[in-house]
Amino acid sequence: MRQVRKFGRLLWGLLRELSDESAYERHLAAHGRVHSGEEWRRFSEERLYARFTRPRCC
Amino acid sequence: MLLKVKRLLGHLLWAGVAVVAAICLGGVALHRGEHINSTWLVLAAACTYMVGYRFYAKFIAARVMALDDKRATPAERLRNGHDFEPTNRWILFGHHFASIAGPGPLVGPVLAAQFGYLPGTLWIILGAVLGGAVQDFVILFASMRRDGKSLGQMAKEEIGKVAGFTSLITVLLILIILLAVVALVVVNALKGSPWGAFTTAATMPIAVFMGLYMRYWRPGKVLECSLIGLVMVLAVIQGGEMVAGSPTLAPWFTFSAVAIALALIAYGFLASVLPVWLLLAPRDYLSTFVKLGVVAMLAVGILFARPDLQLPAFTRFVDGTGPIFSGKIFPFCFITIACGAISGFHSLISSGTTPKMITKEGHALPIGYGGMLLEGFVAIMAMVAASVLQPGVYFAVNAPAGVVGETPAAAVATISSWGFPVTENDMDTLARDVGEQSLYHRTGGAPSLALGMAHIFATRGGRAVMGFWYHFAIMFEALFILTILDTGTRVGRFMLQEILGYAWKPMGRTSWMPGAIITSAAMVGAWGYFLLQGVRDPLGGINSLWPLFGISNQLLAAVALCVATTILIKMHRAKYMWVTLAPLTWLVIVTYTGAWQKIFSPDPSLGFLAAASKLEAALRAGAVPAARIAETQSVIFNNRLDAVVCGIFVVLVTAILVDSIRNWVGILRGTREARMLEAPYVPSNLRADEV
Repeated sequence: MRQVRKFGRLLWGLLRELSDESAYERHLAAHGRVHSGEEWRRFSEERLYARFTRPRCC
Repeated sequence: MLLKVKRLLGHLLWAGVAVVAAICLGGVALHRGEHINSTWLVLAAACTYMVGYRFYAKFIAARVMALDDKRATPAERLRNGHDFEPTNRWILFGHHFASIAGPGPLVGPVLAAQFGYLPGTLWIILGAVLGGAVQDFVILFASMRRDGKSLGQMAKEEIGKVAGFTSLITVLLILIILLAVVALVVVNALKGSPWGAFTTAATMPIAVFMGLYMRYWRPGKVLECSLIGLVMVLAVIQGGEMVAGSPTLAPWFTFSAVAIALALIAYGFLASVLPVWLLLAPRDYLSTFVKLGVVAMLAVGILFARPDLQLPAFTRFVDGTGPIFSGKIFPFCFITIACGAISGFHSLISSGTTPKMITKEGHALPIGYGGMLLEGFVAIMAMVAASVLQPGVYFAVNAPAGVVGETPAAAVATISSWGFPVTENDMDTLARDVGEQSLYHRTGGAPSLALGMAHIFATRGGRAVMGFWYHFAIMFEALFILTILDTGTRVGRFMLQEILGYAWKPMGRTSWMPGAIITSAAMVGAWGYFLLQGVRDPLGGINSLWPLFGISNQLLAAVALCVATTILIKMHRAKYMWVTLAPLTWLVIVTYTGAWQKIFSPDPSLGFLAAASKLEAALRAGAVPAARIAETQSVIFNNRLDAVVCGIFVVLVTAILVDSIRNWVGILRGTREARMLEAPYVPSNLRADEV
């Protein structure tokens, strides 16, 4: 049961990483800011700009 | 004593895995006559990958690269909460895998199945263990030791300025061919298919809705929004059946290949200039989740269904007369399957985000090497999906009209004459089962992959659910190919701006709108040209574009392996340079032979120049009807253009290869300094709970 829970946590962690939600949390913590629509838009723009300048695999 | 017993048990376990791998590989390779079960392929791949990982990869990690967990990685030293962040290794594994897995490992094996299931399967298994995974692993390691530098930067610093600039141009050219060929796959899957076209078109407004939802209505709720998007996509797949069945709506969504190609070109342009949050980002999130979900579903489906393979181990087309693409098994089997065995594009990912997020050097082993093995496994599943189809059906779907004949009667007669019996009734029944009007001449691999996936998924539920699963698979392929198309166009635009910025500064500013519009138009114009060339090609386009893409992608792998070998020599690991030199030598032989044959082969179905000369002779002799003269002239020009593009790839990579060899010889002779450009050693201070 503990293994299943661990796997579930890992999967949830992966989904949050892929969705940038973890990165956003880190961003808030690193800059000592709180969540707001404006803050998300600022973070998201910076993050997405970097993501869409890198080639993707085929 | 207990330790000795444990060690003995460990040895016995690995010996058992190696024996299973050998039996399955032998069984797959030597079995003839009756159909074999897909479990053989899956087990052969899984056990070989496990042995390769346990012994070969660990040897490289310990002896060749000497990974050091006490050394701080860039994620720790340069931690900034954004790009540089120590990340859980399994989370990063998933992240890395999601970045390297594209349509390549799915489509390549399906096309290579024209030689039979065996050659492609062996290449996927051995190529991944000895080539692809080694490349990804060594480049990831090299970038990690250099603060996450890109392949281009490493080529420039480790080999020379020429190599740096040449690799930038090479990547841009490869990107253009890649985007054209993947767009062609989508065009061939959606032409004349109202269900597929409706479903794919509906993903655009869904993406815009998701973009607005995440930006204004529920900022930051990406997972929640992606779940809503997924439900909406599943609903439109179901709705697509009604559209296809409606005499009023179906014509609205029934498009010709040219119309779909033009729509994709317009889409690529818009996606490149519109704000990323509106269209690109939501599609990207959705596509990543769907991609991982479908790969997992396919694995579970094959595990439960365990279907028999219908394709033979070898077909008669190993002699080079294949209908899907021309060329003998050597070198074209190894070029057709690039991603899945070895892909140069992976080196861009291994020197991109991943090295900046690795917590410990040792994590590079499961992420770099293991990630590629998992991609090889995806390619094996695609091979299974293609091989469960009846060979006659497989060829009827994948062979172009120019080879088998325009009409269904001509197509089934030609294919049956090859020894792969198929009837018009078989094809009509199958088309009806999946809700399509026709399945003939759907070149590109996507429809036959979707048929194979539907066949596996519909094991429970039977024919009643075939249509849903077929269109689910088509939607999945179209969704993430379109994501590559829009992202690739934008990335290409930035690369073009970087190159043009050297000549005229304002062009290099990515925020300058006129520059963005001009370079976006140039980028879509370039891949759009090749796409239209493929759409109008009487041989279906795949025959010319897919090998061009395979050659270019593997030439990029050769560049990456040149960088890797240079770094190993500079690290005083020359005695292990065979680790990267062996796959490099193989790639050079394969790609140069392939490129030579594609340019100079006297066979018009294979050589670009011979095809152009044959058509020119027909024009001169007046054998071309007046109505087709302009089209023929354009095909002649396109063949010559393809020959030039292929030649440019070879020249660019030769320049890097020559530069690298000069470096290696100089360093080994002691006439050139082996300047190490690694970041200085800093001990890791991460706490146990942070690892």
